[in-house]
Amino acid sequence: MTVELEYNRIVEALPQDLASCVIAVENHGLVIQPERIADIAAFLKVEPGMELDYLCSVTGIDYIRYFEIDYLLYSLKLNHRLTLKVRLTDRSEPTVPSLTGLWLGAELQEREIFDLLGINFSGHPGMKRIFLWEGFPGHPLRKDYSHGH
Amino acid sequence: MLSEFSLIALFILIVLGFATSLVLIPVALRKLGIVPSQPSAVKSEPYECGLETTGPTWVQFKIRYYFYALLLICLDITVVFLYPWAVELTTLGPAGLITIFIFLGILAVGYLYAWRKGALEWK
Amino acid sequence: MEIGLGINSMDLDLYEGHIIEDLKNSAITALPEPSGWLEEEIERNIITTTVDKLLNWGRKTSLWTETSFTACCTFEFISTSSSRFDIARFGMEVLRSSPRHADLMITAGTLTWKMAPQIKRVYEQMAEPKWVIAMGACGISGGIFADSYSVVPGYNRILPVDVYIPGCPPRPEALLAGIELLRKKIEKRSISKGK
Repeated sequence: MTVELEYNRIVEALPQDLASCVIAVENHGLVIQPERIADIAAFLKVEPGMELDYLCSVTGIDYIRYFEIDYLLYSLKLNHRLTLKVRLTDRSEPTVPSLTGLWLGAELQEREIFDLLGINFSGHPGMKRIFLWEGFPGHPLRKDYSHGH
Repeated sequence: MLSEFSLIALFILIVLGFATSLVLIPVALRKLGIVPSQPSAVKSEPYECGLETTGPTWVQFKIRYYFYALLLICLDITVVFLYPWAVELTTLGPAGLITIFIFLGILAVGYLYAWRKGALEWK
Repeated sequence: MEIGLGINSMDLDLYEGHIIEDLKNSAITALPEPSGWLEEEIERNIITTTVDKLLNWGRKTSLWTETSFTACCTFEFISTSSSRFDIARFGMEVLRSSPRHADLMITAGTLTWKMAPQIKRVYEQMAEPKWVIAMGACGISGGIFADSYSVVPGYNRILPVDVYIPGCPPRPEALLAGIELLRKKIEKRSISKGK
């Protein structure tokens, strides 16, 4: 059984400069400042005791007041997992750093989030649509999308 | 003497007739309007799973295929020699057996040479 | 992004996007079914009827299906072609991936606008005589995805369809009934009326 880590203990184990970028601790996730997500993920990937070396999925959600991106991190060696959340309130130009520098598997998932929700990932090698075609008007999974059928 | 080959001549004529009719019958049927013929620009393009081809479609074949064809011809001829030998094995006696092993030995030397020289590797 | 052959992959994507938008804008109404010729009056004589019978028998007993299946109805087709429902009884066990060899396109699955130009091109590259069976709700009208931003509402927007088989997915018996309807339609063809 893959155990979900205790988020309070994680926050205590973070070094000072990274602990400041944790906004909130929720039941099933650690809410992080969007600009610092790559730093925290890099720390959690190699820190002995955590070693969350497998990025299982990057998911984008539109909660009308904000966009949320969930990162599910697993540790294959130590068999535990963690969820990091990032909340973006800017609906016109939402931007978050890309995790492709740490995990190449994030590349296609971030392209999917860009395609369907319109969130930009800075530092992504080749950001373009993946499921829909170039020239498709809008981003369909946004709550305010309607294509006037 | 030539009349002994009359059956073979007949065979050749039938084969040629069959081959040409296979090519000409569809053309005739198309001209008569029995089979549909509606050529179009898209239909005559090369098939690429529904996409338009990117880059040149006719590419040069690898020379490696030529080597394999050569090897096949040599070893195929060996098999042609082995068949009549196998049929007449009992009447040939031990001399036949020794001869064929010498023959196969010479071929094996050539094959080993090709193997060690790397002619069998795919590059 | 360079992908070799001196071609930029973004250019390919933009080109593909233009093709899809053009196709979407031109596929506003459903194409009519190719059944008008069923009603035509024709002159019959003994030679044409014999040739007709022979050709139609040959064509209906050896329908070769093009393998361009997109989604779940494929599994019902696979069941139909295995031993319990046995499509080989109808001479249809041959599946050809090249459209040059195939003469039947069974649209097993939902079609998205992104895939639509390719299915249409594969259909156009098939040699006559060719038929299309729209299988399943997604093939007839887009099914439960009909209002989606990315789904073509029915294959008859881009291809002329001969037989429609409802179901989601249609059971193998339903698929075989649809194939039987197509065979009856093929029987009615004649060399002296519109192909």
